[in-house]
Amino acid sequence: MSDALVSPAVAAGAGIVAAALIGVAASKVKKIRRDDIIPLMGVMGAFVFAAQMINFSIPGTGSSGHIIGGVLLSAVLGPWAAFITLCSVLIIQCLVFADGGLLALGCNILNMGVTSCLIAYPLIYRPIAGSSLKPWRISLASVVASIVALEIGAAGVTLETELSGITALPTSTFLAFMLPIHLAIGAIEGAATAAVLCFLAKYRPETLYGEYVAVESASPKRFVSRSGRLRPVLICFGIATLIFAGAFTWIASSNPDGLEWSIEKVSGISEMPSATPPTAIMPDYDSRFAGIVGALIVMVMLWAVTTIIFHRIRSAQKTHSED
Amino acid sequence: MQQTRLEKAITILNARQDKPEVASHIGDIDARALLIVTVVYLVAMLSVPLQRTDAIIWFAVYPIISAPLAHIPYERLFRNSLYVLPLLFFIGIFNPIYDHTPSFIVFGITVSTGWISFISILIRGLLATQALLLLIHVAGFNEMCESLRRLGFPGVIVTQLLMVYRYLEVLLQEALTMQRARLARSYGRSSFRASMWGAFVGQLLLRTIERSHRINMAMKARCFHGSLSTSPPSRWDTAATVYCLIWIPVILTLRFLDITLLLLSLLQ
Amino acid sequence: MNALEFQDVSFSYPGGHEVLRDISFSIKKGEKVAIVGLNGSGKSTLLLHTNGLLIADSGTVSVNGKVIDRKNVEECRKSVGMVFQNADDQLFMPTVEADVAFGPRNMGLPEEEIKCRVEKALRQTGCSELKDRAPFHLSGGQKKMASIATVLAMEPSILVFDEPTSGLDFAAEAQFIGIVDRLPHTILMSTHDMDLAHRLCTRAILMDRGSIAYDGPIDTLPYPLISTL
Repeated sequence: MSDALVSPAVAAGAGIVAAALIGVAASKVKKIRRDDIIPLMGVMGAFVFAAQMINFSIPGTGSSGHIIGGVLLSAVLGPWAAFITLCSVLIIQCLVFADGGLLALGCNILNMGVTSCLIAYPLIYRPIAGSSLKPWRISLASVVASIVALEIGAAGVTLETELSGITALPTSTFLAFMLPIHLAIGAIEGAATAAVLCFLAKYRPETLYGEYVAVESASPKRFVSRSGRLRPVLICFGIATLIFAGAFTWIASSNPDGLEWSIEKVSGISEMPSATPPTAIMPDYDSRFAGIVGALIVMVMLWAVTTIIFHRIRSAQKTHSED
Repeated sequence: MQQTRLEKAITILNARQDKPEVASHIGDIDARALLIVTVVYLVAMLSVPLQRTDAIIWFAVYPIISAPLAHIPYERLFRNSLYVLPLLFFIGIFNPIYDHTPSFIVFGITVSTGWISFISILIRGLLATQALLLLIHVAGFNEMCESLRRLGFPGVIVTQLLMVYRYLEVLLQEALTMQRARLARSYGRSSFRASMWGAFVGQLLLRTIERSHRINMAMKARCFHGSLSTSPPSRWDTAATVYCLIWIPVILTLRFLDITLLLLSLLQ
Repeated sequence: MNALEFQDVSFSYPGGHEVLRDISFSIKKGEKVAIVGLNGSGKSTLLLHTNGLLIADSGTVSVNGKVIDRKNVEECRKSVGMVFQNADDQLFMPTVEADVAFGPRNMGLPEEEIKCRVEKALRQTGCSELKDRAPFHLSGGQKKMASIATVLAMEPSILVFDEPTSGLDFAAEAQFIGIVDRLPHTILMSTHDMDLAHRLCTRAILMDRGSIAYDGPIDTLPYPLISTL
């Protein structure tokens, strides 16, 4: 999420909540009784970056996608350590790759970190998957958890943008775009997560967070890998996605009057709040335009002047150092 | 040849080579000061109402002056910030679509508040990105993390940031090596089929976990007992104070003084 | 008193077969010993017992006369410095200087002392100009020297190396030999590189499937090793 789409007030609010949760997570992580948790979180953070750069092709669409990894991290590290790890990934994306806004970090942490690690994993993934190593349970849990995480995240982005008063797009329309798309993205993320977790469950189950019931491992014959089961799950979700997307689009397009109605009712944004500073009288139309043009002209002049000045300084330095 | 995303990321990381010789005018200032000024700038600029496009444009003063101070031509900074435009365009374009309130008339055309807010979104997006790029360029990541620690962030998250950064290139290289090995046998398909992707990423994950065990042993072998303690000296000096004392008032002035009005009244 | 002494040490990994079987040997102060053998013969496992990263199932390991147990493991890690095979696993701090200071800092030494030790260790390994560099930008040889510095800063009496020259080119290997040759410490080194072993060590221990097959002067080590197994 970009800085341009949030107001400082919303960013600050999200930032405070995010910071508080990071503080809680930090103290929880200190109590984890795994002596390698610090290097593990560190390299897993780097792993998430690498994993996000490895695209997979999405069957039937001809395009490729990549994983975000919140549920995957949680299934390996546990919710709090995964949350810290994902936060570090988001912060580094911002501060190293300029991917995502600085003020918007709080929002990003809420929309991506909290939804997957602190909500979807404990409330959806753990109850469904339990401590089972069976592929179908892991897959189901991954897909549902990822969908929930992404839907809540999408709702979060919508809410934050609307509350910031940046967009004239009515909330209902925004949601009508965001929710179906993220349903599909969530399904794909869930499938990708499931693929990795099933791999781990098959070959190195001890890497998964949580206790594994001795019964499960004592009867290995019940554990024939049934990753073929994944496909029916995907097909179901694919169909569900198409139905949802179709329904939303149909609702949105067949009620244009409904949209006008909702613009006035839901968003107070059709009257853009122009809280001009008290020193300004309401400029008349032409001088408003003149103000914009004037500002632009001054900025271009400033740029030209500073470039010339520093060019001079640099070449003076160069000749000086060549002496 | 098209770089894969992995290769691009590695290139970016390598370009952030330790910068001992970057003798920019502001390279030595404590990262805390740079961070504080950047945050103040962003808060001030982003709180300007969207109808005041002119006020937003005045905020360009900061990147235009800071860029040459950081030894980057402003054109380059501007160009590097253009990548945010597509997303902002996609969201912002709904403003003119939904908001038709007329704002002013110029050359016989009625410009709506929707269009004004759209332009404002684009401009503030560019400026915000430029401010961030400047921060990244001037402050080394490690120094930024230490400044976060000194500003009160929990040690756990700072250590985590340092360590992820430290092993980022290692992991990216490892993934790249695995990817190249696979590409050599895949007849040109550059992305994975779902089942193979799971095994590939799963392998990378297992190797990552094994690496963490080895690092843990190395840490224990050097008497690590669970919390990393660092005591770097504080570098806040007069340069940092001066930097803040110059820019913060300027930024506040940009925010609260109606410059357009001032100029217009001067011209009359 | 011997610097390092193994007495009837046996060890198996949980759920695995026996990796070390009745290992007994002792190393005197200042001796330089090479451990050789096939992969899987137990060399690395043996090395991990020297500083208590692994504790023997039976038998004892003593460092400078003190038997290692769970309670004095930390103490003995100050005397035994281990240089791991992969330098990247050992350089985990943001800068070389921070890595070299890591050990002394964990030992709770005062800042002045830490600074002193760091400078000395960097000088000994020729890494002084690298101290502000980030580890991931160093070459393989530089990383290896830096990782040795991280251990030297703790001023151990015994140095343990696990495959020190694997992955190093000629120049880096020559640099490694030059530096280690001058060190006064007791040295235990596991390696496949017989040339290196002959250059640096006077004694060799040959491991075969968890037991010691030969323990004596390196010059009389039967060669090629494969014929003795």
